[in-house]
Amino acid sequence: MITDMNKSVKKHSLIFLITIFLFTLLVTFLSEPFGINFISTSFVKVLGKTLCLCIAAIAMDVVWGYCGILSLGHFAFFGLGGYMIGMWLMYERTSIIVLNSLDDSQLPFTEIELQEAIGNQIFGVVGGTEIPLIWTFADNLYFQIIFVILIPGLIAFIFGWLAFRSRVTGVYLSILTQAMTLALSLYLFQNDSGLRGNNGLSGLQNIPHLENLSQSTISILFLWLSSIGLIFSFVIFNYIIQSKFGSVITAIRDNETRLRFFGYNVEIYKLFIFVITAIITGLAGAIYYPQAGIINPAEIAPIASIYLAVWVAIGGRGKLYGAILGAASVSLLSSWFTGGNAPNIPLGFFTIEWVNWWTVFLGIGFVAITIFSKGGLIGMLNTLLVKIK
Amino acid sequence: MKTLLEVDNVSISFDGFKAIKNLSFSIGYNELQAIIGPNGAGKTTFMDIITGQTKPDNGHILWGEKSIDLIRKTESEIALLGIGRKFQKPTVFENKTIIDNLILSQKKNRNPFKVLFQKNTKSELTSIEKILKDINLYMIKDRIAGEISHGQKQWLEIGMLLSQNPKLMLIDEPAAGMTPTERNQTVSILKNIAKSSSIIVVEHDMEFVRSLNCRVTVLNEGSILSSGSIDFITQNEKVIEVYLGR
Repeated sequence: MITDMNKSVKKHSLIFLITIFLFTLLVTFLSEPFGINFISTSFVKVLGKTLCLCIAAIAMDVVWGYCGILSLGHFAFFGLGGYMIGMWLMYERTSIIVLNSLDDSQLPFTEIELQEAIGNQIFGVVGGTEIPLIWTFADNLYFQIIFVILIPGLIAFIFGWLAFRSRVTGVYLSILTQAMTLALSLYLFQNDSGLRGNNGLSGLQNIPHLENLSQSTISILFLWLSSIGLIFSFVIFNYIIQSKFGSVITAIRDNETRLRFFGYNVEIYKLFIFVITAIITGLAGAIYYPQAGIINPAEIAPIASIYLAVWVAIGGRGKLYGAILGAASVSLLSSWFTGGNAPNIPLGFFTIEWVNWWTVFLGIGFVAITIFSKGGLIGMLNTLLVKIK
Repeated sequence: MKTLLEVDNVSISFDGFKAIKNLSFSIGYNELQAIIGPNGAGKTTFMDIITGQTKPDNGHILWGEKSIDLIRKTESEIALLGIGRKFQKPTVFENKTIIDNLILSQKKNRNPFKVLFQKNTKSELTSIEKILKDINLYMIKDRIAGEISHGQKQWLEIGMLLSQNPKLMLIDEPAAGMTPTERNQTVSILKNIAKSSSIIVVEHDMEFVRSLNCRVTVLNEGSILSSGSIDFITQNEKVIEVYLGR
């Protein structure tokens, strides 16, 4: 904390933040609306989404790599953030469309008719017409943004309070978080959950009141939003882990029983970290899904949270840039391989199709990295750099 | 002498096995006491009960002038009241530097929101440097605690207790794994600490206990066998039978 390490950490963090900024600037100049049209709009969206996944990854690194809580539920918070903002996006856009079509009709309409028409548009697919209670504030962007913070934060708080207070730790805690995630996704799969069951929320890429802007311009806007989000969360988390608080949470990871005898209320610290990482992850989800365009309960399924842990492990636990490196490289590779861009490998008797074989490749890579490099990709890089010097 | 800690008629059993039987014990302010006893006598369980890690079946543990009952308190609450503990196996945070270990245990506000913005003041760093000198680790203060020797870890843990500045320290086998020189240094460190706080030392090593020159309590099968000066207890026939004679 007070050693010379502090200086080099500060330098690295600054280099990182400038890199992210320059990267975003570069993409902007290579994009269609603001530059030389070298990068397609869909790829700008992929990059923007990747930045959001990096935010989730550093949150995961703080909660797992630093505090030692292997949460298999953080992607649920990511999804919840997406759902909360998606409710506004969908409601607002539908109500604009419905208002336009009602304006065309000759007869004046009542408020009830308007609500019914909106309800029919949104919930017709699950056989409902009534707007559920949880959509009460969906017409108000500010309320929904508050919910983006509040809902993941509150769920994390209640869950964390119960789990940490009962001193559930280690693998049992991981199982518990996974159960929470599974329960949430199963609930959302139901048609009467009020969030359109397995259809999820769609059309989120069409931002209400920004109809005049093209998708390519919106993609750049969201790229910047994602980039600012990553910088903002990096600064917050970096501050936390460099402070004495950071020293306390790594002590919790290493030996929480010992720490109790020094007078630290371990549960409160864990709860703080669990909640703040859940909130930041939720915010990341709220920036991600307008770029993805659709969210459905499958996104919240436990496998997504496991992927999050895999990214962090591959990139390097206990280093924020490690988590970012892992999330960015694995998710970009994943979209390349599964997007059908990777050339298939014909072996004569058998053809390796990457769409199916990618997860096998990822699994082997994961095992190899965890066996051969304790510090993940970033650990390998550091050893290489030391050798070169 | 005023009483700092009073253990009153405490019992605990694990699955029918009575680990502590109607044990009563007390220690005053700035007093040094030693507890000895064979394996399984209940020494560690006794410490677990005082520090809140184990809840006794019955009895009371009264603390300080206000006679606060410690039974219902959590480990961290008890630590904040002023009881520090050194474990039998030296337990330090091995991934942190020596000085960071001391900063972590330093007596300060433990509220997470305060800890988030805590900085070390000059005087706090000076007091930590003083502790580092007292425990002979000043020269290697920036080394990672996992790399130092067993004996040095023992001192570091004692140093962490000093930094925590408790009113009572429970010290489990401080001389285990130490060379004779290190052992003598440990005796002088402990005697020095006893000037400003109370200490309960649990030890196997009779010579070490003798050099502490304090009141000794002998535990056997969960209850007190004898208590008094080292010369007094070594002459007690029951003590010789269960402990020394072996």
